[in-house]
Amino acid sequence: MEQNFLIILRRLNHGIAILVGIVLFACAAIVLMDIVLRQLGSSFGGTDEISGYVMAIATSWGMGYTLLELGHVRIDFLRSRFAGKGRAVFDLFSMAVLSATVSLIAFKAWPVLARSLANGSNANTPLETPLAWVQTPWFLGWVWFAIVAWLTFTAAFLMVLKGQFGNSEAAIGAFGEEEAVQ
Amino acid sequence: MITYISIGLLGLLTLSIPVGIVLFLLGFGVDAFFSPFPLIKGLGNLVWSTSNNSTLIAIPFFVLLGEVLVRSGIATRTYAALDRWVSWLPGGLIHANIATATMFSATSGSSVATAATVATVAMPQAEKLGYDPKLFSGAIAAGGTLGIMIPPSINLIVYGFLTQTSIPRLFLAGLVPGLGLALGFVVITVIICMIRPSLGGTRRVFPLSEMLQALVQLIPIILLFTMIIGTIYKGWATPTEAAAVGVAGAIVIALFFGEVSLRMFEQSILGTIKITSMIMLVVIGASFLNFTLASAGLGRELQNFLTGLGLSPFGTILVVVCIYIVLGFFIETLSLMVVTIPIIVPLVVAQGYDPIWFGILMIVLIEMALITPPVGLNLYVVQGARKSGKMSEVMLGTIPYVLAMLAMVAALIAFPQIALMLPDALQ
Repeated sequence: MEQNFLIILRRLNHGIAILVGIVLFACAAIVLMDIVLRQLGSSFGGTDEISGYVMAIATSWGMGYTLLELGHVRIDFLRSRFAGKGRAVFDLFSMAVLSATVSLIAFKAWPVLARSLANGSNANTPLETPLAWVQTPWFLGWVWFAIVAWLTFTAAFLMVLKGQFGNSEAAIGAFGEEEAVQ
Repeated sequence: MITYISIGLLGLLTLSIPVGIVLFLLGFGVDAFFSPFPLIKGLGNLVWSTSNNSTLIAIPFFVLLGEVLVRSGIATRTYAALDRWVSWLPGGLIHANIATATMFSATSGSSVATAATVATVAMPQAEKLGYDPKLFSGAIAAGGTLGIMIPPSINLIVYGFLTQTSIPRLFLAGLVPGLGLALGFVVITVIICMIRPSLGGTRRVFPLSEMLQALVQLIPIILLFTMIIGTIYKGWATPTEAAAVGVAGAIVIALFFGEVSLRMFEQSILGTIKITSMIMLVVIGASFLNFTLASAGLGRELQNFLTGLGLSPFGTILVVVCIYIVLGFFIETLSLMVVTIPIIVPLVVAQGYDPIWFGILMIVLIEMALITPPVGLNLYVVQGARKSGKMSEVMLGTIPYVLAMLAMVAALIAFPQIALMLPDALQ
C-alpha cells in the first residue's frame, strides 16, 4: 500500500516539475524578447522582476520532486557503512529532521504572505506587482514540500516497521550517484 | 562560535542529514545560543528574498541548456568530431575526452551530465582501441570538473551571489585558469603516454577531408559559446539574460543538428528541476546561516581568532588550501563551497586578498574535491557509465590530473594575475 501511495505522490510531483519547467521556458522566452526589444530601443521594463518571481516559485515547487528523486544531497560517509536496519535508522532520522525543518520554513513563510495580504502591498518596482499574487504560490510551494516530506516519511516509516528495508531505501535513501545523471 | 559551527557542521553532516537542512539547523543554533535578539523571525523574509532573485535564475537556465545539448545528442557528435582532430596525439582518444569536456564547460553548467555523456560514448571505444581504463576514465572525471571553472559556471554564480562580487568579472577570471587546466591535462597525458605508450591505446590519424567535415559539427557549440559570452561583454545582456539566450540557442541547435522529441524536453526539464532545487535548498540554507552568523558578530570573532593565530596572509592562504583539500575528500563540492564561504571568504578578504582571485582559487580546490575519493561525484559518474571494472581504477586514473590541479593552485598563489589579468584588462 505504501508503495502505491508513493507512486501516486511521485506522479503528482512529476507533473508539477513539468509545469515548473514550462514556466521556466516561458520566462526564458520573455527575457529573450526583452533583450531584442532593448536593441530596438524599447523594453518591457520588468523582466528582472518576473525572473525573480519565477525563480522563487520554481524553487519552492521543485523541492518536493527533488526530494522523491533523492536529489537533496546527503553525505553518506558514515551511513554507507551500515546495512539494512542501521541504514534505515539514518534515513528515517534525516527524513524526520528534514520534514520538521521544512515545516518550520513553511510556517515562517506565512507571516510574509500575511503581511502582503493585510497591507495589500505592491512591489516597489516598475511593475508594482501586488506581492500577494506571487507570494501565495511561493508559500504554497513550501507547504506542499512539507506535506510531501511528512507523507514520504510516514510511508517509509511503515515500510521499515514491516521490515521492508529495500523499499524504504528506495523511497528515502541517499542519492544514487548513477541515478543523478541517468 | 567558530568551534560550535565546525563541530556542529561535521557532526550533522555525518548523520547524513541533507546538506541544505544542516545549514538551517546550524543557523537555528547560532540564533539560539549566540544572538542577542531572535533571528528566526526573519526566516520567512530571508527565504523569500533569497529565492526571489533574478540573478539566480541563471542556474536553471544554464542547467537546462546543458541538458538540451546532452539529451539531443549534440554532445555525442561533438565527441566524435573532436576525436578526428586530437587522436593523433600520444594518448589519442583521451584528448578527445578532455577536449569535449572543455567545450561543454564553455556552454553549460551541467558538468555532471557532460562527464556522464562523454563516459557513455567513450567507454566502448576505449575497450575496442585498447586504452588503459585507469588513465582513460580518470581523464573523463577530471575533464568534467572544468565545467565549474570555464564560464558560464553555476558555481561562480553562487560564489558571486553569496560574496557580493561581480559575476561577469568572475567569469572572465575563470577563463584563463580553466583553459590552462585543460592544457595542463593534455600535456600531462602526452607526457605519461610518451613514457608508457601502452597506456595510450592506438593513435589514429584521420584524412584531412574527414577532419574538415568534422569541423562542421563543432560550429554550433562554438557559436553558442560566442553568443553567451558575447552578449554579456557587449553589454547587451546580464549573465542571467545571457543564460536565457543560451537556452534558446541550444534549442535552435538541437532542432537543426540533433534529435528533438517531446520525451527529450521532458527529460531535460526533469533533470533541470532536480538539479536546481538541490542547489537552491543549499543556497537558501547558506544564506540563512550567513545572516545569523553576521548578526551574531562572526566578523569580530574571526578577527580576534586570526590575530590570536598570528598568521601572515600567505600562511592564512596555505591553511585555507589545506582545509579545502582535506574537506574535499569527504564533502560534496557545492556543499563544500557554500558552507565554507560565510566563514572563509571574510577571513581571506580581511587579509587583503582579492575576492575575485580567491573565488577562482576556491574553484580549483573544489574541482579537486570532485575527483578525490571517497566522496567525489565525478568518480561515481564515470564509474556508473563504465558498468565494469573497479572503482579504484578510476580513482588511480585521476591522480595525474589532481597533480595538475595542485600545480594550478600553486601557480594562482604565486601569480594572481593568471586569474586577474582578464578582468583587470577589460574593466
